[in-house]
Amino acid sequence: MGQTIFVVCRESIEALLVIGILYAWMDGRADAATGKKWLLAGVVGGFGLAALLTLTLIGVSDLLGGESRAWFEVGMLTFASALIVQMVLWMRVHGRTLKKELEAGLEKSLQGKKSWWGVFFLAMIAVGREGSETVMFLYGSLLQLGTLASYVSFFSAVAIGLALAMVLFYALQLGGKFISWKWFFKVTEIMLLFLGSALFLAASEKLLGGPLAATDLPGWLYSNIWDMSSVLSDSSVFGNLLASLFAYRSQPIGWDLAVLGAYWVAVIVILKWQTKAKLEPVAYVTAEHA
Amino acid sequence: MKFTRIFFLSSFIALMTINSSAFASEAAKTAQLDADGFSVEMNDPRYKKLKTYLVEMKDGVLTPAELVVPEKTKFRLVVRNLGNKPAEFESNQLRQEKVLFMGAETTLVIIPLDVGSYDYFDDFAPTTHGKIVVKAKD
Repeated sequence: MGQTIFVVCRESIEALLVIGILYAWMDGRADAATGKKWLLAGVVGGFGLAALLTLTLIGVSDLLGGESRAWFEVGMLTFASALIVQMVLWMRVHGRTLKKELEAGLEKSLQGKKSWWGVFFLAMIAVGREGSETVMFLYGSLLQLGTLASYVSFFSAVAIGLALAMVLFYALQLGGKFISWKWFFKVTEIMLLFLGSALFLAASEKLLGGPLAATDLPGWLYSNIWDMSSVLSDSSVFGNLLASLFAYRSQPIGWDLAVLGAYWVAVIVILKWQTKAKLEPVAYVTAEHA
Repeated sequence: MKFTRIFFLSSFIALMTINSSAFASEAAKTAQLDADGFSVEMNDPRYKKLKTYLVEMKDGVLTPAELVVPEKTKFRLVVRNLGNKPAEFESNQLRQEKVLFMGAETTLVIIPLDVGSYDYFDDFAPTTHGKIVVKAKD
């Protein structure tokens, strides 16, 4: 029972973090109703994706063989990480102009409409990726049940696991309401960017262990740069959570640092470029209104 | 006086039994080692190119609990799930994550590792940890 609670709760944290932040962010917007529909559609799509992935995992469908599955995972994770960065950029622009848009009555911008697809896919991947493992675990456990008591215990464990995960969701919503918008936005922005880096690193490691496994890369890429597994191993429950949310590694190799370095350099360059590019039009609009 | 003697004697016996049982379980935990102290490879005609080792997962129990492999050498792990529940072989340190349904088998190629110790675990039952010990080749 404890195992089921643990798996359900842990696997839903990452998805709920993404969905919770997007939801809380939308709450303040004029076009929240539209956005929430897209978000909900993404979650539903995610369950569909999870079910499909589970079928390939338990061997019902051979849609994705070993090699193509690895490529699919690499592609999905890279796409998700790019979407997160794009989402943060979008939120920065729209978070800043929110008040202005409301006052001017410009509730739906064209640029906004295009980005709803980003919300949709992000929610879908977030749910689908972790969801497929949960679905398979639950399905496998379900097959082992016999007595009525075991069914009751199983389903209550699932319910408790989901309830615990929902606590996190509500915490995020409360955070959005009671902490000042600026702080909430800063914190979630940083969390999203770190989650993006974790997904990007996971994608690169799947590439390294899968399609690139046959190639011999330079030795320094495989060498441990430092080892702090005695302080906090990323195989511990907490270390593992830090690994999946913040790209923590207790024994990073050259490859990890190169990939993370590339990610953060790219993100900082894009953010700098955005600040520069966006300042001018805003100044222009203000001037026009005045 | 007599009481102290009995006390010491019995605690000595108790310690001996604890020690020997710990020793016995230690022996069962590690896979058979060859003359150089490395784990014995799995003999499978399908995997001849790389050193190949077998890991079996059974409802949270990992066998062997400790694998000893040579440093800076690419190797293959064949992972089997013999349990009644799905299992997930996971290790951030080995950069692997693979879900296995009941009765499933998969193979993983592990990148060359430095000397050290690397944990792996069943993500669906994360209380037990397996260990891969990487040893220098002499």
